[in-house]
Amino acid sequence: MSHHIEGSRNSCALHGALQVFEAIEGTVPVIHSTSGCGLQHYLGGTRLSGGNDPFGSPPVSSTNIREKHVVFGGGSRLREQLKNSVKVVQGDLYAIVTGCSIEMVGDDVPAMAKEGLDQDWPVIYANTPGFRGDVHQGYQLAVRSLIEQLPDIWNESQTAPAGLVNIWGVIPNQDPFWRGNLQELARLLEGIGLVPNLLLGDDQNVNSWKQVPGAALNLVLSHWGELPARLLEERYGTPSILLEGLPVGAAAGALLTRVTEKLGLDPRRTDAVIGREESRLKRQYALLADTYYRTGFQREFALVGESAQVVGIGEFLGTSLGLLPRTLVITDNPPDSLQEALVTRLKSIVPEYGVDIVFSEDRAEIADAIRSGGAGIVLGSSLEQEAAVELGVPFLAVSFPLTHRIVLDRGYAGYRGATALLEDLGSVILAGSYTPSV
Amino acid sequence: MSPLRSKAPRSREKRLDTLGAWLGPVSVASDEFAAREVFQRIRTFAQSSHDDLLYALRILTGIKESVTIIHGPRGCAAAGLYHAAAGSNTRWVVTNLDERDTIMGADRKLRKAVTALHHRYQPKVAFIVGNPVVAINNDDIQSVVEELHEELDLLIVPIYVTGFSSQNAVSGYDTALHALLKYLSGNNPAAEKNAAVNLLSVAEHPLDRKEAHDLLEGLGLELNVLPDNSTVDSFKEAPAARASIPLCPDAPEYLGTILQEKYGVPFIDAPRPVGIEGTGRWLKSIGAALDIPAAAGELHTRKAEETSRLLGDFSLKGTSVYISLSSANAFSLITLVEELGGVVAGVTVTHLDRLHVRYLNELAARYPSLQIHVSDGQEFEEISILRRLSPDLYLGDSTNIGQVARLGIPTVSLEALGIVGYSGVLRLAGRIKTAQANRSFGAALTSTNPPYRESWYSRSNNWHIKQEVK
Repeated sequence: MSHHIEGSRNSCALHGALQVFEAIEGTVPVIHSTSGCGLQHYLGGTRLSGGNDPFGSPPVSSTNIREKHVVFGGGSRLREQLKNSVKVVQGDLYAIVTGCSIEMVGDDVPAMAKEGLDQDWPVIYANTPGFRGDVHQGYQLAVRSLIEQLPDIWNESQTAPAGLVNIWGVIPNQDPFWRGNLQELARLLEGIGLVPNLLLGDDQNVNSWKQVPGAALNLVLSHWGELPARLLEERYGTPSILLEGLPVGAAAGALLTRVTEKLGLDPRRTDAVIGREESRLKRQYALLADTYYRTGFQREFALVGESAQVVGIGEFLGTSLGLLPRTLVITDNPPDSLQEALVTRLKSIVPEYGVDIVFSEDRAEIADAIRSGGAGIVLGSSLEQEAAVELGVPFLAVSFPLTHRIVLDRGYAGYRGATALLEDLGSVILAGSYTPSV
Repeated sequence: MSPLRSKAPRSREKRLDTLGAWLGPVSVASDEFAAREVFQRIRTFAQSSHDDLLYALRILTGIKESVTIIHGPRGCAAAGLYHAAAGSNTRWVVTNLDERDTIMGADRKLRKAVTALHHRYQPKVAFIVGNPVVAINNDDIQSVVEELHEELDLLIVPIYVTGFSSQNAVSGYDTALHALLKYLSGNNPAAEKNAAVNLLSVAEHPLDRKEAHDLLEGLGLELNVLPDNSTVDSFKEAPAARASIPLCPDAPEYLGTILQEKYGVPFIDAPRPVGIEGTGRWLKSIGAALDIPAAAGELHTRKAEETSRLLGDFSLKGTSVYISLSSANAFSLITLVEELGGVVAGVTVTHLDRLHVRYLNELAARYPSLQIHVSDGQEFEEISILRRLSPDLYLGDSTNIGQVARLGIPTVSLEALGIVGYSGVLRLAGRIKTAQANRSFGAALTSTNPPYRESWYSRSNNWHIKQEVK
C-alpha cells in the first residue's frame, strides 16, 4: 500500500509522460483532464528545472474537463479538443495523455485516438492517471505508447543507419542534466563509429522514433529504460546493454569497451578513443592536485538523487576522486528486486566503509538521514540545501528539483561530464573555504 | 442561516456571473453585464489553466505554523513542491492515493497522514485539501476532521476544492477563505471591537503587501493582516476588527463580504492601490471610512509629490502598452499606464464578473472600442491578439510570458515585481526603462516561433469560444 509523502519529488505518471512528449520536437501533448493538471506540471516540474522550458509556457493543449464531463463522460470534449488541436497547434504527432478524473469516469480514450487516426491525424495515446504511478511509470507509459503505436501511423519501413544505438532510461528534467548527459554519450558513441539515437532533447523528433526498430543496440542508462529495451527485443530482436548508473569518467570508457565487444567493433579504435579521453581527464586531476590537497577536497559526502545518478556520481566520487560515501539516498523508488543489487554495488564503492543507503522520496526522512549521518559535503536537490546549511557544509545541486541553478547543456555523464562535476564540486568547496580578509 | 454552513461557497460564476472566456470591445462587455442574464462561454479548444486547487494552495502557503495535506494522488502536490522550493515554510504532504484507494476510499491514509504530521511538527493548524479524485469518490473527509480534532486536540480545516466545479480558479480563493473563517474565526461576531483594522491581502507579492502595510501604518492604523503571512490568531482576531481594507477589490471580496455579513466588520469599498492617483483613491476611501480624511489626504499629497519627483522625466508617451493580469490588477494598471503617458492597446484579464462592472462602464465611456480578452493561460489567443496589435510594450504576469517575448515585444514580468503603491510606480518605471533600453535578448528569441499554425493567426480569435448550452 502506498504511503503519504512529504515534499515528493516524483510527481505523477501524467507529468512523467508529459516530460517525455515535450522532449520530442513536433510532438503536441493533448491532456485529457481537469485544467490544473498541466499547470501543476508547469509549476512543480518545468519551473523547478531552470532552463528547461520546452514551450516557453505550460503545455499547449488540455481539455480542461468540468463537472458535466465528470458526470456524463468527457469523450465528446476530447473529440472536439483533438480536432481543434490539429487545427491550431503545429505538430507531427499528437499524444493524448489522461489524468485521474477522466480515468475514474471511464472515457474510452483508445477509441477516440482511433477516430483521430481514421481522419489521418497522427495520434497516439497513453493512459497516465497519477494514481497509477509517478514520473518513472509515466516515462514508461509514454515510451511504450510510442513504440507500440507509431507503427500504426507510419507503417512504411524506415531504413535506419548502420550502427544505430537507441538510448533509454533518461527521464527529461527528472535528471536535470539529461540534455548534457545525452550529448556527451552521443559524442563518445560517435567516437567509436556508432550513430546515437538520443530520442529526446535537441533536434530529436518523430523521425528519430521511426528509426527505433532498426537500431543495432539499445543502451539502457537506468532501470526505467529496461521496459522499452525488453519490448524492442521481443518485437525486433534488438540486443541491449543495461546499466544501473550513469557512466561518469572511467565508467564511460568501460561502457565503450562493452559496446565494442557486443557489436564486434574495432577494439583498436575504441582503445584509442578511451586513451585520449583518459589522458585528458588525468591531466585535469594533475592540474587540480594542489587545490585538492590544500583545501581538503577529500571528505565524506551525502548524495541524494535518482538511482542512476547516485550510482554514477557516487562511484566517480568514491573510486576516482578519493571521497568517502557517508549517506546515499535513492529517490526514484526502484523495485524491491533491484534494491538489493543497488545496496551491494554501492557498498563496494569504498569496501568496508560504513555507508548508509536509504531508499526514500520523503523530504523529511531524507533530511533526517543526512543530518544524522553528517557529511563534509552534500550533493542533492535544492530541498537538501537546508540540511547542508544545518551541517555547515558545502552544497552542490545535482538532482531534481533545482531552484537556484540553470542547466542548459551541462552534463555529468561521460568524460566531459566528469570534468564538469569536478569544476562544480570544486567550486562549492572553494566557496566554502574562502574567507575574505577583513 | 449562516453563510458558512455549507462545505464550500457557491462558485464565482453562480455568485457573480463570472466569465472565463470572452473577447470583444469593452462597450459590448459593459452592455452584456447590464443585461439581466450573462451567458457562460466555453472553449472548444483550450490550454492548461489554473484551477481552484492551485489558488487555494496559494493562500495556504502564506499561513504560518501550518501543515498542508493534499488528500489525493501524488501529482496534485506538484505545485506544493514549487511553493516549498520557493521558500514556503509550510510542510506539504500528499496522501498518495493509488488505484485501489480510488475505488475503496482512503480515509485511513488521511488519518495516518494527519496524525504523523501532528506528531512530527506540532503545527497550530492542519489543512486538508480536496482534489478531483476525492471529489468524484466523495471520500469522507469530514468525519476524519471531526474525529482527529477531538483525538489530537488539533485545529483541522478541510478545504473542499475539486478542480472541476468552477471554470474560474478564483473560486478557489473563496473556498479556502470560507473554510478558514468557518474553522478559525468562531461562530459569532466579536463581543467587543478592538482598535485593529483587517488588511485583506490574498496571494499578494510580499513587496506589495509591505507597501500597503507601510502606508496604512503611516496613517497610524493598527493592522491585522490576513490571509497572507498570517497565523491562526489573525483569523481569530479578524471578527473583532473595526473594519476591513482590501488590498484588491477582487481576490479578497468573499473574505471581506463574509466578515461584514456574518461578523459585522465593515468592508471598505476601495480600489486597488496601483498608480499614484490610484493609490491616492485607495487611501482616501480608507480615510473617509475610518474618519481620518485629513491624514489620508496629507499622506497622499506628500507621497505623490515625492514619487513624481523621483520619476523625473520618465514617460510612456507614444508607447502602446498591452496588459495581461488578474482582473482588478489589470484595470488598475490601465490607469497607471495612462498616468505615465502611455496608450493601452488591449487588455487580457483572468476573469470578468459583476465586481468589474464599474471599470467596464468607466472604460466603455472613454474607450468603447478597447478590446477586452478574458483568459487564464490561453496563450494561443494572446499570441494571436498580440501579433495583430503589435504593441510597443507588454506588461503581464501570465505563465506564457516566455512565448510573448518570442514576438520581439519588450516584455516586463509583473509576477515578482510588486507594483502596488508609490514605490510600485517607481519599481515598474525602472523595469520598463530597462526593458526598453536593450532589446537584444528579445530580438534573439524571435527566431524561435510559437508553435501555432498560420491558419490560426488568420482566423477570428474567438471562433472556438461558444455560448454554453444549458
